[in-house]
Amino acid sequence: MTFILESGYAFWNPIILIIVFIVTMVIVYFFRRRGQENYKKDTDQAQIFLCGEEVPEAEQRHVRAGNIYWGFFETLKEYYNQILRPHTGIINDYVLWFIAVTAIIAIILLIAGLGT
Amino acid sequence: MPSLITHSPILIIAIPLAAAFLTLPIGMASRKARNALVIVSLAFVVFLVFALARDISINGIHVYTLGATSPDLTIPKGFMVPVRIILEVDSMSVLMGIIWSIVALAAAIFSLSHIANETGQNRFYTLLLLMVAGGFGIMFTGDLFNLFVFLEITSISGAALIAFRTRFADAQEGGFKYIVVSAIASLMVLFAIGLLYAQYNLLNIGALAQVIQYTTLDKIALALLVIAFTIKAGMVPLHLWLPDAYSVAPASITGMLLITSHACMYAAFRVCFTLYGGMLNTPVVGWIIIIFGLLSMFVGVTMALIQKDVMRFMSYHAISQLGYMWVGVGVGLAVLGNAGLVDSYGKAAMSGGIFHILNDAMYMPLLFFIGGALFHCTGTRDFTQMGGLAHKLKWTTILFIIGSLCISGIPPFNGFSSKILIYESVYQFHPILTIAGIIVSILILASFIKVFHSAFMGAELSEYKAVKEVPRSMIIAMVILAAGIVFITLFPSLIVNWTIHPASDALINQGGYINAVTGAIP
Repeated sequence: MTFILESGYAFWNPIILIIVFIVTMVIVYFFRRRGQENYKKDTDQAQIFLCGEEVPEAEQRHVRAGNIYWGFFETLKEYYNQILRPHTGIINDYVLWFIAVTAIIAIILLIAGLGT
Repeated sequence: MPSLITHSPILIIAIPLAAAFLTLPIGMASRKARNALVIVSLAFVVFLVFALARDISINGIHVYTLGATSPDLTIPKGFMVPVRIILEVDSMSVLMGIIWSIVALAAAIFSLSHIANETGQNRFYTLLLLMVAGGFGIMFTGDLFNLFVFLEITSISGAALIAFRTRFADAQEGGFKYIVVSAIASLMVLFAIGLLYAQYNLLNIGALAQVIQYTTLDKIALALLVIAFTIKAGMVPLHLWLPDAYSVAPASITGMLLITSHACMYAAFRVCFTLYGGMLNTPVVGWIIIIFGLLSMFVGVTMALIQKDVMRFMSYHAISQLGYMWVGVGVGLAVLGNAGLVDSYGKAAMSGGIFHILNDAMYMPLLFFIGGALFHCTGTRDFTQMGGLAHKLKWTTILFIIGSLCISGIPPFNGFSSKILIYESVYQFHPILTIAGIIVSILILASFIKVFHSAFMGAELSEYKAVKEVPRSMIIAMVILAAGIVFITLFPSLIVNWTIHPASDALINQGGYINAVTGAIP
């Protein structure tokens, strides 16, 4: 029973998932083995076709992090403009935040935080 | 052996403290002897913490009175209240101790190679051991003033360690910011302690919890304590300092700083559950904690997505992960006044949050160590400049995959086990919390795919042709944490039943904590 975590509503057994994963891998490997046997490594068959254009060197083809999720950041540009504003890197600004949040929490607790 | 266990709470603090002072003279004589002293003392502390945990699981809360004729003599003859320093270790604090001991040992092993070329290594290990002693003190003390003292020890040593690589201007700036923030938080704690002491003449948490009257001053003290620990934990919107400090420290220290954040979170929980307890307007305080958690989850992960510095990236993820814990425990606090809801889902939510502390303490330091390993190999923290490192750093790549899958909550890894506990229970409280948690997990996975693709995938880059796998001690440290992940992944039920449920029970059971001190009158 040490493998089964009961959450109160359902259960979670990592061993089942690991077994499913292994079986899936075996099936995938089986299909892969049935693939084309006449495939020739290191020939033109293995070359990239880019609409007849010259293919850049492998090193230059690497997509770096700065180019990933451009659409996501463009969509959330306004959110990021706002969220980056307090991240000034200046300790004085940080302390102002501490004071403001402390005051707000103290007021909330004084009004409603404690009661018997 | 029984005597060793009896004195283990103080030994766990005293051994790293003594080793810290021995490190300097021994280090001047022999570097190997110094390294051996650090590792052996921390390994012995791991053994003691596990022995203490076993004892607590059998005999309940372990109380240790300093300076008394007998360690369990909490109230001296002729006194009505405890006056000595008392260490009080229950299932929650010993769980934090287990986490701290393992991560400290792994960090020390990682440091052997990571700072091997730095100057001032004797001072580094002295500060590291002081930080370890301070961390244990925060977790084990039953006394508010000692909590402040240990918080100071941890903060001062932490700031010095952040600024350890003084040749980097950003390290000095990070250390300065950390000490300023820590000083503010510590002063808030001291002021709150003053407010309580002025009214009740008490510093012992258990004794204070018994007599606290919930006056206006108590409310102000509560606000100061909660905010001070929230600042030190690095919760949004009080997190601004955290990436600036964490990202510039040596990676081994960043892993330890994360656990000090956990320790401050533990202190906040101890204040809410044990010091003020069920008499709080728990829905209000619970919702304050939940809102801090939700903000941290969202802001943490969205800020991580736009980072280019691998250590800042990890730091924002650390903030995001803290959010899950606060949401889980916050839900438990919000329903604390209703026994039916506590049994229905409150306790499960707390267990999920506490389980996530343990899981986070395994994979987040691992990811920080990997960030340090990448810096060690490439000389840059900018992962947009990296690529194809999987060709050279096979161990680091495999460990990064493990850490990434854990933090993203991908089954069967341990991150999933705690997240499923949180999701299922907090859904009963408010479905939006579960939805938020799942969305944040998706964003976490997306951000780690980005880093994995950018740094590890692709063709070997010419500038990294000479890169070699990190030294053995760094791999051993990372493998220790990965082994912890695998163990928790395979045996979630064992971990939850042995450590997590007793820890959440200990937080809920305020009477048990009080009685362990005040009930031991001779």
